[in-house]
Amino acid sequence: MFSPSAPDLSQNSGELNASEPSFASDEGTLRKNVVRNNGQSHHASPSKRPKSTILRENSGGLSFINLYYDSADKDDDDEAQLQHESEMNSYKVDQSNSDVEQLLQEGGPMRLSARDGSNSNLDDSGSSDALNTAGLLPTPESESRSSQFLGSASLIEDAASNSVKNSHLDRYGFMKQNQYISEKQFNEWWTNYSKYCIRRKRKWKDLLLKSGLPVDNDSPTRFPSKSEKLKRYVRKGIPAEWRGNAWWYFARGDELLSKNIGVYDKLLTKINNPSFASKDTEIIERDLHRTFPDNVHFQKSKDSDEDPLTIKSLRRILKAFAIYNSKIGYCQSMNFLVGLLLLFMDEERAFWMLVIITSRYLPGVHSINLEGVNINQGVLLLCIKEYLPDFWQRIYSNKTHRDSGKINNKNEFLYKLPPVTLCTASWFMSCFIGVVPVETTLRIWDCLFYEGSHILFKMSLAILELSGNNLPKAHHMSNKNADDEDMELFQAIQTFPKQLINPNDIIDKAIFKRRLKFNALNQDEIERCKKYVISQRAKYKNFQEVMKNDTANSSKRDSVLAQDLINETFSNEGYGFKKGLNGVNWNNNIKERVRRLSRKR
Amino acid sequence: MLQFKLVLLGDSSVGKSSIVHRFVKDSFDEYRESTIGAAFLSQTIKLSEQYDEQVLKFEIWDTAGQERYKSLAPMYYRNANAALVVYDVTEPGSLPKAKLWVDELKEKVSDDKLIICLVGNKLDLAAEKESSSLVDESEAREFAKDNNLLFHQVSAKTGENVIKVFEEIGEILYLQNKDKIQESKKPAGSNVSLQRPSTNDSQSCCV
Repeated sequence: MFSPSAPDLSQNSGELNASEPSFASDEGTLRKNVVRNNGQSHHASPSKRPKSTILRENSGGLSFINLYYDSADKDDDDEAQLQHESEMNSYKVDQSNSDVEQLLQEGGPMRLSARDGSNSNLDDSGSSDALNTAGLLPTPESESRSSQFLGSASLIEDAASNSVKNSHLDRYGFMKQNQYISEKQFNEWWTNYSKYCIRRKRKWKDLLLKSGLPVDNDSPTRFPSKSEKLKRYVRKGIPAEWRGNAWWYFARGDELLSKNIGVYDKLLTKINNPSFASKDTEIIERDLHRTFPDNVHFQKSKDSDEDPLTIKSLRRILKAFAIYNSKIGYCQSMNFLVGLLLLFMDEERAFWMLVIITSRYLPGVHSINLEGVNINQGVLLLCIKEYLPDFWQRIYSNKTHRDSGKINNKNEFLYKLPPVTLCTASWFMSCFIGVVPVETTLRIWDCLFYEGSHILFKMSLAILELSGNNLPKAHHMSNKNADDEDMELFQAIQTFPKQLINPNDIIDKAIFKRRLKFNALNQDEIERCKKYVISQRAKYKNFQEVMKNDTANSSKRDSVLAQDLINETFSNEGYGFKKGLNGVNWNNNIKERVRRLSRKR
Repeated sequence: MLQFKLVLLGDSSVGKSSIVHRFVKDSFDEYRESTIGAAFLSQTIKLSEQYDEQVLKFEIWDTAGQERYKSLAPMYYRNANAALVVYDVTEPGSLPKAKLWVDELKEKVSDDKLIICLVGNKLDLAAEKESSSLVDESEAREFAKDNNLLFHQVSAKTGENVIKVFEEIGEILYLQNKDKIQESKKPAGSNVSLQRPSTNDSQSCCV
């Protein structure tokens, strides 16, 4: 399964690197297959993929990003030049306007990013180009689409002529300003962070070139094999323009797509059938315009009542997914997951990424009974208890004293979730979209697809710790009641993360800092923890049912006895975290080594 | 200060979050992001002279409307003092959903002081539509009466009646808790008057 545990990788990284060439060439052939097959299905029934605008629909946002970087990249070798911002800005505007003109002449934003395509690695870039432009070749319906395209071109023009700094929008098309962050705060942060991004991107380019991987058209499709170094690079942020490809690559999207060639098209045919009806359709429709309403790519243009292309893609993906996985159907929060994906990749890939997220990274979280959410909450609570004991005191212990007088059952919180989980449920469902500012969300997603779902728990712990520090001291002795404290806590947990504008504050400092206590929390630990929570919840449920049947007609005293029995049974089974470097394992390890050394002597 | 917990329930997209935002921030957005899980907000109001200009704080839990979030709901309405059960007056399917919420509250919440208010939202849109496509107002009114609910029709967009809903709930809460309030106001050591809670106002219907 997908659980790249860091220590293993570091040990084997030499080996992995050695085997890389063959892996890479496999990937190459795989990609070609995909392209060929896509082409076939396209030719076979041009109407089947009714919106071959897939790529085009999102390229507004992506080209926007490109424009920003293109001008900045010229200064790659001389960072000092970045200081001359006014110069740079005027250059940027010129450059962008000419890009837009070129774009209009050539007829598609994808051409824009391909304009300075080099001839190196002809084979590879050729195939990926074919993939990219597959949907953009002129077709009988191109007339209606071209008008749509002009719509998105004007977006680009607007965005380009203003540049991020002078615009009210960020580089993804979101409003800079919201309830929690002012435009001024955003601009101050962006001045520094944009330089950071440029620096990081240069490093990424170097890394790829050193690994012998092409960076054609500023859109690399293959990335180095996993290593400590790459992990560090991912943690520091994948370049925004490469995100779609990188997420797809690290989540092994091609692997899934190659097994399901043509499946998405078939699903589209189904949902396009006029007689198609699904109980989810109505709920999906209600949520379409409630997905990132402050993002320009999700807004209707002023002079048209037609849905923007991104919304159309969103609708198709959600409807298709609802019939693809009827166990999940549609769950609110998936609209945001897909919405964010669509800013970075084409429609078909976004669909398969949703499949991957809901099955591999967040299993059960969106299912009809939301049991996956409860399980994740249980795991998070165990982690809080282990890693944030002070916070644990705050959310749990005084509550049990109040409610039951004594703590009988160590694990009660696993099935009777404490109120704090009202706040944290959405963290897992929407994968931190809307929980932290978008740039931070994206950085979390970078790590999520590279490292696995344990990142979400680390992130949650970091946010809780920071929010907790931000709270007035607990009022154990004061006469303030526990409900008030809860409210203060909810308020802090909900509001504080939204103000964390600089992703590095939380990602580098709170999650990945060396010697940090959460570092021992790896994917294996989370998986083990999850199994434990699942078994405890199942046991408790069974127990309750048995007891209910037994005591249905008996006295209150019996039910009290039954409850005691449950408590007793479960209190003996606690969950033990593996200890980190300071723990017993390590000491034993050292002892063993010392023993071996002394034997040698 | 007196604090009360209030929870919003109802089908998705009926305007629960919009009502809360009108009340808390006095603002309205045509398209508001779907609520995932729940959102927590608070707002303070001052009651009229008739109610001793008492200041109350509402702690508001705004919940996600989709059916499957129902399994999380008990956590929201646990210990709640009041519940707004919202439907969309332009969406006939949303009233039966509201009725189900009322049934669930009556069944699961043992506190008979819980104030439930049935709220029909999007009144501003009702004027534009044919009355046949709207929720039958008398049906909603009757249901509220039969179940001892408060009943209001509001528009989060124009703000019509929104504050009124919260004020009325606040007044009832005040009356429910008058004793406690007066007790706490008395200087320490003085005799505590043993007033009875005033009448059954909490169950009255404002139809």
